[in-house]
Amino acid sequence: MSALTKILIVLLTLSSIFLCGIVATYVANADNYKQQHRDLKNERDSLGEKVKGLTKQLGEKVAGKQQIEDKLNTKIGTLGSEIRELQASLNNVEREKSLLLQKVNSWTSITKDFYQTTDKQGQLLKNTLEELNTVQAEQIKQHKELNETTASLIEKMAIIDTLESEKKRLVEEKVELQNKLDQLLQPMGRVAVPVVPVTPEISIAKPAKIATKGIDLQGLVSAIDLKNSMAKISIGSADGVKDGMKFHVTRGSKFICDILIIDVDTEEAVGILELVQETPKVGDNVSTNL
Amino acid sequence: MSPNGKTPGDKAVLPNNLYTVILALAFCIVLATAGFVAYKCNLQYGTIFKIP
Repeated sequence: MSALTKILIVLLTLSSIFLCGIVATYVANADNYKQQHRDLKNERDSLGEKVKGLTKQLGEKVAGKQQIEDKLNTKIGTLGSEIRELQASLNNVEREKSLLLQKVNSWTSITKDFYQTTDKQGQLLKNTLEELNTVQAEQIKQHKELNETTASLIEKMAIIDTLESEKKRLVEEKVELQNKLDQLLQPMGRVAVPVVPVTPEISIAKPAKIATKGIDLQGLVSAIDLKNSMAKISIGSADGVKDGMKFHVTRGSKFICDILIIDVDTEEAVGILELVQETPKVGDNVSTNL
Repeated sequence: MSPNGKTPGDKAVLPNNLYTVILALAFCIVLATAGFVAYKCNLQYGTIFKIP
């Protein structure tokens, strides 16, 4: 046997040992795919069963969910209608609230005005009371002056009575002396000369009449006081009315009476009724010229 | 030169059966490996030649 053959035998043996070792090692360590396939198949079957169960449960859950959804939709509809009703009620209440607020504001302003008016009236009342006190004090003063004047007048009247009785007595004495003088002078055929008093007779002073012809004032009767025969007219010193003026009251073409002015204010005047033909009324015409 | 023939005075040489033994060993190893593979295939897949 040649050396080459021997070498080939040895190499063949070594290589076969090597390859067989590799194959045996690989086969020994190789996975059992059939077992794995079986396991996986079993696992797949169990998972399929699980999927079926879960699908069934899912169907039940979906049906339950649908029922719950239907119930909730019904509830949502009911609650929506309730919300709409409540919204309408809320709107009504808001409207009423705004109306009430407007009323409150108006009442507040009315109350404010009322308070202001009350304050003003209180102030006016205070002023009027002060004026009344002043007028009462003045009235008391005038009453005192009147009493004094009355007392003085009574005293003067007493003096006048005394003087009148003195004058009467003097006149009687004068007549008696005149008679005696006539009796003494008659036998001698003489007549006594009438006595002329040294002191001239004093006439009583009278106010001059105011000429009203050229003025031509016209107005209306604004008030009548028949109890005191007085009347008020609608024109005063601003229009030229003065104390003592005489106005003629007419109604249409009919003469009613005259008014003699005794008190004049700026916008009105008061006078006494004279020559009353008919009862004057408020609104009758008054004028200085007929 | 016969392998069995020995001439006196010649050097001792290894008999040629050694290589036969080596070849037999290699054959046995290959056969054992094939048997092992067949056993494993039959054990795991239930068949030796068919694809399951």
